[in-house]
Amino acid sequence: MSGPELEIRRSSASLPGETSGVRRVPVVAKFIDTTTCIGCKACEVACQEWNDLPPFETLRLEMYQTLPQLHSEFWNLIRFDEREIAGSLAWLMRKDGCMHCEEPGCLEACPAPGAIVQYANGIVDVNPEACIGCGYCETGCPFDVPKINVKTKKMAKCTLCVDRVGVGLEPACVKACPTGCLQFGTKDDMLELGRKRVEQLHENGAPQAALYDPKGVGGTSVVTVLAHGDHPEWYGLPADPHVPASVRFWKRALRPLGMVAIAGTILGAFAHYFRYGRKEPVPESLKQEGEGIS
Amino acid sequence: MNSVDTSTHADAAVAAGRSSEDIVVGQEIVRHRFASRVIHWANALFFFICLFTGMPIWSPIFGWMAAFFGGLAVCRWLHPLAGLAFFAASLVMLMHWMRDMLLERSERGWFGPKMLSYMRYQGDDPDVGKYNGGQKLFFWAISLASLGLLISGVVMWFPEKFPAGVREASILLHDLTFILFAIAIVGHIYLGTAAEPGTFHSMTRGTVSKPWARLHHPRWYREVTGEQPRRP
Repeated sequence: MSGPELEIRRSSASLPGETSGVRRVPVVAKFIDTTTCIGCKACEVACQEWNDLPPFETLRLEMYQTLPQLHSEFWNLIRFDEREIAGSLAWLMRKDGCMHCEEPGCLEACPAPGAIVQYANGIVDVNPEACIGCGYCETGCPFDVPKINVKTKKMAKCTLCVDRVGVGLEPACVKACPTGCLQFGTKDDMLELGRKRVEQLHENGAPQAALYDPKGVGGTSVVTVLAHGDHPEWYGLPADPHVPASVRFWKRALRPLGMVAIAGTILGAFAHYFRYGRKEPVPESLKQEGEGIS
Repeated sequence: MNSVDTSTHADAAVAAGRSSEDIVVGQEIVRHRFASRVIHWANALFFFICLFTGMPIWSPIFGWMAAFFGGLAVCRWLHPLAGLAFFAASLVMLMHWMRDMLLERSERGWFGPKMLSYMRYQGDDPDVGKYNGGQKLFFWAISLASLGLLISGVVMWFPEKFPAGVREASILLHDLTFILFAIAIVGHIYLGTAAEPGTFHSMTRGTVSKPWARLHHPRWYREVTGEQPRRP
């Protein structure tokens, strides 16, 4: 979490309206072009270095990928996939990490006030002081990004280098990328860049190329160009990601209805007491006076 | 009764209730012996710890409850531990009371017209034993709910060990079970305190008055005292 210079747009387990809403803050985004990524992993190293994350032992995964999935101490992972497409081998690679959703499922699921925040510039970040390590964010995320650290019991993930962005720098991964497949700027600019690149690909023998900015989560602050845009799942991306319906139902229907039901039962007990009073034995003295009373 | 010393200021009924219940002591009847009461209150204690550590995680509206325990992060680790204790206590409670709670044929559909007339204090049933149909069904419902809370709670305790679908189902199950549980407990506490004077006493000192027993549990009263039912 960075300094106070960044306005918060949304905060977990809190009511909206924490920002002044006066300052005009452009939404930022990271541009990822999977067609020019060479899998050098410079972004992985830059991420570990800038965020002071520990080095990882190399795992024998029988493939080029560093780890099977993201980790609370490894926020930037190039996913590799080898598959045969139309009779030839395609070696697909995509930089995996937090997508910084416009409607973050992690934030919606989070029960700790202020533990997950969305800044006015669109970056979704964790505040470790407020995080209680419950892991609801893991259930809320449609991209399987948040991971609870087993040692600290806190969630940790890509911050889009909010500490760099807050002082006008680009994220460390973008800084390190040697091919320019990673770019950083306003979301509008990155979308424009993506559209141009997709057009170029269409003209150059990749008619399936598409821009990945899923509307199911309101769009993301990571704009990805996919050569095989008709098959985002080949890159480990869900075709149509949504905040899980169960999480929505739980927070927006079951919980408020439950509160009303419990409060209603308490009120009902009072009402019953007013209407029917107590059930107790009629004292012997009263019984003799009038047998008809009961 | 001979073994109980009533010559001093000792509370004869409580003394008798240390080891036995369903016995008459003077004008009182021992309804819940010492062990029964300890089991009930141990269960209640762990329930309330679970309640006050769980509700602030449920919704920030109840965030102030977390302050009793030292914050939300404490609730996160205390809640599952208290939950285990609650389940263990519920298991003991199940073993302790299950024989008494076996439903009789006439009690099966208690949550219906019977409950309505019961809540309106109408049509006293002379055939109510030590526990009425509502109490028995409440007992089985919360025993089942405890199991549901345990299973879903374990998943929520270690989310990284379970796939997303199981986690989602567990969160919903835990929530729904809690809501139903809370509604039932509100009814339980209301009937046990304000609505039916003398009932709370049966869970503190363990005894009830003879008129109380005759009113609420007439068949049990006859069994304990040996009195014949009064002809109308």
